[in-house]
Amino acid sequence: MITGFVTFFTIFAVVGAILYGRRLIKTEKSDAVFGNPERAKGGIHWVVVGSSFLLLSWLYYSWDIAKSFYPKSANELCQVAKVNESLLSLKYLFPIVERQHKSTAIIKRENINIEDKIILIKKDSNLKSEDKEIFINILRNTKQMIPSLTDERYIEDDTKNIINELTIRLNQLTKNFPKDSYPDLSEEEENEINEGLNKQLGWGATGMEVPPLPESKIGLKFHAAAAELNSISDEFFEMRNHNPEYLRQSEAIFIEIKEYMDGLEDGLELDYIKDIKKLVRRIEYASIFPPNTLNELENAIRDFDKVQNNEQGNLRIIDIFLFPAGTIVASGPQCSEAGPGRWLPKPSDTFRIFGEMLKPSVGYKMIPMLWYEMMGVNKIIGFILPDWIADIMPGKYPVHNQDGTVDPNFKSKVLDIVTGEFEAFKIPVPTGHIWDSFLRVFLGLTLGIILGVPLGLFMGLNRFAKGFFDPMVELYRPVPPLAWAPLVITVFGIDNLGKVFLLFMVSFSIMIISARAGASGTQLSKIHAAHSLGANKWQIIREVIFPNSLPEILTGIRVAVGMCWGTLVAAEFLAGTTGIGFVENVARKYMQYEVIWITIFVMGMLGLLFDVTIRKIIDKTIPWRGKG
Amino acid sequence: MKKIISLFLGSVVALVISASMAYSAATQVRVAFFLEWATPNQEAKVKKVFDDALGVPVKWTNFATGGEMTEAMLSGDIDISYSQGLTPFVNAVNAKAPIKLVDIAVTYGMGNTTCIVSNASGITKANAAQLEGKKVAVPVGTMADYVFKETMKVVGADAGKVTVVDMNPEDGSAALQNGDVAMACLFGGKSIENALKAGTRMLSVKEATDAGISGIDITSVTNKFLKENPGMVRTFVEITHEYNAKFRAGKSNMNIIAKDAAMDLAGTKKQMGGFGFPDAAEIKSKYMNKGGILMKYLDVMGNMFATAENPALKNYSKVVTTKYLP
Repeated sequence: MITGFVTFFTIFAVVGAILYGRRLIKTEKSDAVFGNPERAKGGIHWVVVGSSFLLLSWLYYSWDIAKSFYPKSANELCQVAKVNESLLSLKYLFPIVERQHKSTAIIKRENINIEDKIILIKKDSNLKSEDKEIFINILRNTKQMIPSLTDERYIEDDTKNIINELTIRLNQLTKNFPKDSYPDLSEEEENEINEGLNKQLGWGATGMEVPPLPESKIGLKFHAAAAELNSISDEFFEMRNHNPEYLRQSEAIFIEIKEYMDGLEDGLELDYIKDIKKLVRRIEYASIFPPNTLNELENAIRDFDKVQNNEQGNLRIIDIFLFPAGTIVASGPQCSEAGPGRWLPKPSDTFRIFGEMLKPSVGYKMIPMLWYEMMGVNKIIGFILPDWIADIMPGKYPVHNQDGTVDPNFKSKVLDIVTGEFEAFKIPVPTGHIWDSFLRVFLGLTLGIILGVPLGLFMGLNRFAKGFFDPMVELYRPVPPLAWAPLVITVFGIDNLGKVFLLFMVSFSIMIISARAGASGTQLSKIHAAHSLGANKWQIIREVIFPNSLPEILTGIRVAVGMCWGTLVAAEFLAGTTGIGFVENVARKYMQYEVIWITIFVMGMLGLLFDVTIRKIIDKTIPWRGKG
Repeated sequence: MKKIISLFLGSVVALVISASMAYSAATQVRVAFFLEWATPNQEAKVKKVFDDALGVPVKWTNFATGGEMTEAMLSGDIDISYSQGLTPFVNAVNAKAPIKLVDIAVTYGMGNTTCIVSNASGITKANAAQLEGKKVAVPVGTMADYVFKETMKVVGADAGKVTVVDMNPEDGSAALQNGDVAMACLFGGKSIENALKAGTRMLSVKEATDAGISGIDITSVTNKFLKENPGMVRTFVEITHEYNAKFRAGKSNMNIIAKDAAMDLAGTKKQMGGFGFPDAAEIKSKYMNKGGILMKYLDVMGNMFATAENPALKNYSKVVTTKYLP
């Protein structure tokens, strides 16, 4: 319902925006020539078109449009898929989906295999010539055995009867199929289906990919036909063209093989004879028939295919146009989506599951996505203040006295404070997967900026610093951050410390480079001017060099944010208990494609949030950027 | 603008057409397998027995986890997964992946998949409830995940209260040695060997066997390949069983197997000593029959790993078939 509305709305938005855009071109009086940046300004309507196209493609390729406008189509296509699946084995026998008859292909292949084997045996110098003779003789006999399967004279009446009977059954089905009265179900069967239908959920409901039981009249037809076709197919493949002539010849071959094998020790000869035996057995298993025996069955299948295609009616058109690049496939009584419908979740499902996951009581793996928990201020103070503060206080820690109590003194009270062992009011603190990932990036980035920027400036201004730190920075900087990940995780552990340190390494080098470039790029005239006005070193750094390097530094931060995100997700893949990367990695193992897309979406949004924030900061703090 | 529209429509048409031409003849069989997981049929693999018997070339690709095998089967790059763990298979069929179980490849005791608790943590079987609130390294969604959950039940700890860290076996054993985790659940010879340097098994191999914890690896085939080439699947299974019988008779060429499994001879012998390769009769009568070991496992695991979107199947017998056993 909502999807349908959104679809129409986006289509209107696209059309409207395009019309508006065209009118704007006609009415706008602009004397900007080609190449003037003025021409790229504005254009919100094209943003509307761009995002609408994105949304429409998503709706279309995830088959959400099909689900919205034809909610029954998946169920009906599932029944069609059942029919196709039941016919598949039979169809592979004939040039319907293949170029050749299966019998033809097998005979061709096996003839080649036999010839190859003979050549191989002839060439093998480790074989005795009498063994060679026996092998080649068996292979020749096997080759001569094939005509016993393909000669119409030998085929048994029983086999012919079964084929005829199956053909008749198929033709009967073809005749009955288009009739309104089909299928003629017994009350029992009908009740069974109805009972199942009561419990059946809709397409895309939680835990139901495609509802498998037929919900409509046309679906019921296909469902019933699939059952009949399955039984026809099973019966056909139980039958073998093992006529007396074939049995006589193959028995002779098997006896010869057995006689040869008896009393044979392990060795080259045994390997050869086993291979040959397998070849003979392969021909035994294969469904080889004389060239024209199955013609009528083939025609019956083709006829049925035509009829069932006709009966699909609108469904075929829906399948082609609203189920792009895939369709519903059946596997026994189950149906599933094959193609983008499977790995590209429908927007409606995605948002539903995302909404569900955002509930703090659900979350993912019992941890909310983004929520808050009440935390005492004492814990925060205990975390921030180092414990050794208590150790350097004068006096000694109290010792218990004779009546079995401990009297606190000043030193122990300080210890209580620095370890957070006191009562305090509680404040809400964010928690959850999104917050954890965010915090890791934020901490790594902040540490990188705090340490990297001063060092970078220093390196830009001081010969010693440049020479001393350059080898270190330049050696570790070009290494992709992920290459460090296994090492960092081993050294710093799998907790936040390791991940934050990894992100710190990423942002640190970027900040050094950008601060250094900013510092050395300061115009000399500005520094000279400051000198002339009597500025000291500190003032020059604070008032001239730092503001001048700010554009470089802030651009560096933007780059660092992107790098940090990329590294974080991979680090969370390696070892994680929380975080967006952890969620994605676990979802992959359980094939929860919706969750995978949600994590991708969340990461994109958070990255965008960081970027927009920094862009705002840039605009606020350095309005002179790019203006000389 | 016109060009953009025609490009878009063109790509739509191209995608629709490419999807409808999905069928093609099997000119090769593509099989997935594991390295460092030695099985007798690797001798047949090296000697090209499969290629000869199937009549077409067989392409073997190694994978790191069973879940990746499923992904490759779904994308149409793999026809047969040999020795896929039962856990990834269950996850796949819960997600309605069109694949079927045709054979049991390997059964194994907990010598090769186990939970190892760190000596430094002071936790043993007796006080295992202390694990609650501590970190445990588990490769999520693998047989080791199953072993972890079962082990917790046996020792009476609540698996839900343990903080699970998702780590591959190699990382897990390193984390255990570093003291980052109190316990690590692992598979693979090397990882277990390394982890045992800093820890002990939570349950001994015998205790685990007595508690009914054991592993099953299976052979799974895509539904499409099964329909198209039933004979090939039968031949594949038959040869595997032939070489299993050869192994049971002590006639396997261990050097070839070890080399193909990328392990040393002693390690291969030790690993395969802990493996069972049940024959077809045993599979039919003890594993795949109604109420058999495998069917019980599928039910238990199916519910264990079910999620809201991918619930357990009501009846797992529909994804299992004995039709292709010799």
